Amino acid sequence: MLELQNINKYYNQGTVNEMCLFQNFNLTIKDQQFVSVVGSNGSGKTSLLNIICGSIPLDSGSILVGGADITNMPEFKRQRRIGRVYQNPAMGTCPNMTILENMALADTKGKPFNLLPGTNKQRISYYKEQLRFLGLGLEDKLHVKVGVLSGGQRQAMALLMSTMTPIEFLILDEHTAALDPKTAENIMELTDRIVKEKHLTTIMVTHNLRYAVEYGNRLLMMHQGNAIIDTEGDEKSSMDVEHILEKFNEISIECGN
Amino acid sequence: MSIILGVLEEGLVYAIMALGVYITYKILDFPDLSVDGTFPLGGAITVTLILAGMNPAATLFIAFAVGALAGCITGFIHVKLKVRDLLSGIIVMTALYSVNLRIAGKSNVPFFNNDSIFENSFVNRLLPGKLADISVVIILAVIVVIVKILLDQYLKTRSGYLLRAVGDNETLVTSLAKDKGMVKIIGLAIANGLAALAGSVYCQQKGFFEISMGTGTIVIGLANVIIGTKLFKRIGFVKSTTAVIIGSIIYKACVSFAIYLGMEASDLKLITSVLFLAILVISNGREKKVKQHA
Amino acid sequence: MKKSIKTLLLAALAAAALSGCSSKAAPEKSSSNDSTAYTVGIGQFAEHGSLDNCREGFLQGLSEEGIVEGKNLTVLYENAQADGGTASQIINNFLSKKADLICGIATPMAQAAYSGAKKTDVPVIFTAVTDPVAAALAKEDGTPVGEITGTSDKLPVEKQLEMIRKILPDAKTIGILYSTSEVNSEAAIKEYKAAAASYGFEIVEGAVSATADIPLATDSILEKVDCLNNLTDNTVVSSLPLILDKAGKKNIPVFGSEVEQVKIGCLASMGLDYVDLGKQTGIMAAKVLKGEAKASDMNFEVIKEAAFYGNAKVAENLGISLPSELTGSAAEVFTDITH
Repeated sequence: MLELQNINKYYNQGTVNEMCLFQNFNLTIKDQQFVSVVGSNGSGKTSLLNIICGSIPLDSGSILVGGADITNMPEFKRQRRIGRVYQNPAMGTCPNMTILENMALADTKGKPFNLLPGTNKQRISYYKEQLRFLGLGLEDKLHVKVGVLSGGQRQAMALLMSTMTPIEFLILDEHTAALDPKTAENIMELTDRIVKEKHLTTIMVTHNLRYAVEYGNRLLMMHQGNAIIDTEGDEKSSMDVEHILEKFNEISIECGN
Repeated sequence: MSIILGVLEEGLVYAIMALGVYITYKILDFPDLSVDGTFPLGGAITVTLILAGMNPAATLFIAFAVGALAGCITGFIHVKLKVRDLLSGIIVMTALYSVNLRIAGKSNVPFFNNDSIFENSFVNRLLPGKLADISVVIILAVIVVIVKILLDQYLKTRSGYLLRAVGDNETLVTSLAKDKGMVKIIGLAIANGLAALAGSVYCQQKGFFEISMGTGTIVIGLANVIIGTKLFKRIGFVKSTTAVIIGSIIYKACVSFAIYLGMEASDLKLITSVLFLAILVISNGREKKVKQHA
Repeated sequence: MKKSIKTLLLAALAAAALSGCSSKAAPEKSSSNDSTAYTVGIGQFAEHGSLDNCREGFLQGLSEEGIVEGKNLTVLYENAQADGGTASQIINNFLSKKADLICGIATPMAQAAYSGAKKTDVPVIFTAVTDPVAAALAKEDGTPVGEITGTSDKLPVEKQLEMIRKILPDAKTIGILYSTSEVNSEAAIKEYKAAAASYGFEIVEGAVSATADIPLATDSILEKVDCLNNLTDNTVVSSLPLILDKAGKKNIPVFGSEVEQVKIGCLASMGLDYVDLGKQTGIMAAKVLKGEAKASDMNFEVIKEAAFYGNAKVAENLGISLPSELTGSAAEVFTDITH
């Protein structure tokens, strides 16, 4: 269980540009929940992910995982139990290393990075099997540098790499936004498959309302640092894109957009 | 013949240092100026220890270790004290000037008459007569090849993978639950260890330590790395580390060629810059390194 | 790849073309009826007046002995511009061009020459090395360590102090600026400190690590001293005009260590004439070249006599009169300041 308690976050505190992002924000996410988060630009979606991952510091409040306080844990330590996929496909892979080396890197997560061989030859067949699962033919290009792959191929690899070792949370930060519709569709299906297979607790920020409705079992709409829609279970299943769009337009008009 | 030997001697010594610069500049993407201080640091330590009676070969390891420590300091200043990369290097380089003077005792310390890795009874027995002329080149080549193989092997370990990853994509290192700062410190330690090792070898070859020997080391190192990697980048089977070593020899060959032609030393730097620029320009077609925008 | 090689060649060609403009035409070998022709490589560590004078004197010394550039002597001259790496490459170049003798001017160049030529039978003659023993170019007793000998430009410290006492009877402190990177200066400072007390002086040292430190170091040392004294420190000598200007404004006299410094505005010097030093070196080199003596059999030499050089114009500006006992026996008293 992930709990955010009384989160306060300001930007440019103490200056004329001070901006309040979260004020006494609370959120609890149960294990194995798949939460889709939507909202307009600047509504605090990505900041929410950054706060959970520890990429940005909090002004006050606490973050608990399974009851344990991780508020002051540095970002890299939190990542032990988190897998994160970014909007930019380049951020999840190393472009100058080969597909095999990237897979081996991801496979070593959680183990000591010592002087053992970087690639364990006995794991290669496992990597191939995992890559075959993507259906992109990458299993035959093990020695190709990732930098020459397309955005979609890289994002698929990033997804695979971030979920290769045992993790508890999967954080998806608009991970289909930079892809063409067909590839985005494939990546989304792949995501769903991995989440279900590995029973991951997932938080997905997306601008694609259809994905938000179709995937996951809970939906949040963020606006000015608050969740103005929070539905789950059957109630969420009955939601449709029109309904969300309506709500979306409402808040946009309020803001004068 | 002797001019070729001279070029190989100079090129191979600087190749050791260039392999270090390859780590910082090419792998870590960190312009590390501290090598201007760690190169003579290796020399200062070597001179002092040899004069104190230590085995010349043992001084190589100590020079590497102390250089690595200096690299850690650069890393610490950059990572923990959050000083910009360029400045961290400048701070350490400047401080090392005084440290080197302290270690060596004075600015010029000769030890022509002591044993060195190039001149001792073992080498004289192993490489007698005709071979003695090329003994320096042989010994240097052995050292360079060992360093190259060790470095190649290291880059294939888990730790080496992480080092390559941090220069390629810092975010991924964090995603792998690793502290990217620590990885950078390790990289700087290895790089400066190699620079100090090169300084140690350089001094043993020349037979004296001179405080100003480090001036411009980073420029030579960068030139070696860039010449090597740019010239060989389209040939897949030449490893980057090999390319850097060849680059070092080419660089020294150009300098030597210029001197041979009777060019004045005052013009040398200009020629070097022209050569450097030419190599940069011809390889400009290269696609930009992928940078992530967080 | 193809393109890169082409461009590399182009660059090399450009280098060759450029060098064409600067290389000096080598004289026709043995155009005279002299039986043997010699090739001598002269490596000079840095570019400044004293060292240039040394080189000039060296050639004069050789020609006095009948070895004349352009006739029976080919001179290979290279200047390392104070770069140690270049110095050893210069020596390698001399060796590959089959020089009969190498002349190393200033300590690092002499060491590079010794280190490079050790394995060959090419003799090395050095000059402008202040302390050949400390530089390991000679043994403790002054005998050579190999096929190497030459001349030392060790300063006549005692004579210099005696002169300062005569010119400034009331002075108590002498400031000396030196750079930490030059071993010669450190040796000289030590000697000054040891000798100063017997002339009633106290030495105040100002260390710099680079040319950029000199303005501040000068300002600070001028606050503490009655006069400044110069060594042959390359870094400090290159910035001498600046030091003279600052000292002049405070009416503090600056003493030089050799004739060039007196010409450009130092008050006086009990010093070396580097042309003479070079000449003495050239004569030694000629003996080695002609086979009259081996370098390994000759001890290094120091300049025979230090002479007084004064600058009357500077004295007038400072309101000081140079004692007649000094000017009477002066090698030269300049009446002008050369800029």
